[in-house]
Amino acid sequence: MSYITRTLGNLRKIGLKEYWHQLNYIGDTKAGVLVGTDKFGNKFYENNEELPLRTRWVDYASHDFDASQIEPQWHFWISYGIDTPPNKDNVMVDNRSWASKHHIPNRTFGPGAFTTFNTVKPKIDSWQPVALPR
Amino acid sequence: MLASTRTGASLALRAKPTAALVPFRAAAFQVASISSSSRKDASSLQQHGTSAGAMTFPQRKEVPLPSQEGTKGVVQYALTTLDQITNWARQSSLWPMTFGLACCAVEMMHLSTPRYDQDRLGIIFRASPRQSDVMIVAGTLTNKMAPALRQVYDQMPDPRWVISMGSCANGGGYYHYSYSVVRGCDRIVPVDVYVPGCPPTSEALMYGIFQLQRKMRNTKITRMWYRK
Repeated sequence: MSYITRTLGNLRKIGLKEYWHQLNYIGDTKAGVLVGTDKFGNKFYENNEELPLRTRWVDYASHDFDASQIEPQWHFWISYGIDTPPNKDNVMVDNRSWASKHHIPNRTFGPGAFTTFNTVKPKIDSWQPVALPR
Repeated sequence: MLASTRTGASLALRAKPTAALVPFRAAAFQVASISSSSRKDASSLQQHGTSAGAMTFPQRKEVPLPSQEGTKGVVQYALTTLDQITNWARQSSLWPMTFGLACCAVEMMHLSTPRYDQDRLGIIFRASPRQSDVMIVAGTLTNKMAPALRQVYDQMPDPRWVISMGSCANGGGYYHYSYSVVRGCDRIVPVDVYVPGCPPTSEALMYGIFQLQRKMRNTKITRMWYRK
């Protein structure tokens, strides 16, 4: 809940610098426990005293952030699929032989963006004239 | 002086068609008489693709996207700030023109319900195309609906964006081989973001909206204008 006392209390806990950072990225003032960091450097926080479905949040590593930059295990945690964070869950760490080693984020609007290509035989065949010597 | 140029121009205009007509007439006379031109063999013809290289593909060249170019110079920095302000204003009050055509529209409606709550992002469904920024094409676009879609798109003021939602809007989807369905709404309107799925979840649509906002954030408005 966004009482002024809550905002001021969180501001006292996190400091002015973090307050400004959060205002630019989250748009709210939140104080919580740093649960873990994924391979991309995204920081995951938790505070169970917040309202339901607002208790877990992420501080993205990159400025041009995107939800696909979160690793799948952390994505499961942050969408409330599991309570144990993946860095403390042995099943999530070991038992993932079927998954690809490296998570690839969405490359749209970047150099690796997907572009469609044609796999169909061209409908028009150009005629190659062959002139026999007379 | 002005008058003289005008007469010159008019003369030039008049002279052109007559001059263009003359060779035609000459050619016609030549054809009418028994051919006086030298005979041309088929072997003298130039083959296509051998000399001009029409069939060879051009060399692949890596060009940075406009969003990947850095800022250079004072003017660029000043204009970047202007662009940022404009893009911020654009992306934080996105009013979609809802074009719900089929079952995807149900998922689109879920986006406005409390769980996903599009209002907190400044997204308000607007029934009028003249006051909306983005059109969400949700569902199968039939041949009968296509002119209406285009008309609604034409009624939207610039700048305008289009989100194509679901397989049917992306490329016909399940009804690709139907006799009455447009194979993708990008045949009718230019699409910015394609959201895959049949139907896509509201989360997927929300992700698509985030991608569109990202596209807006990287748009260069004044910077491109000053380059021209």
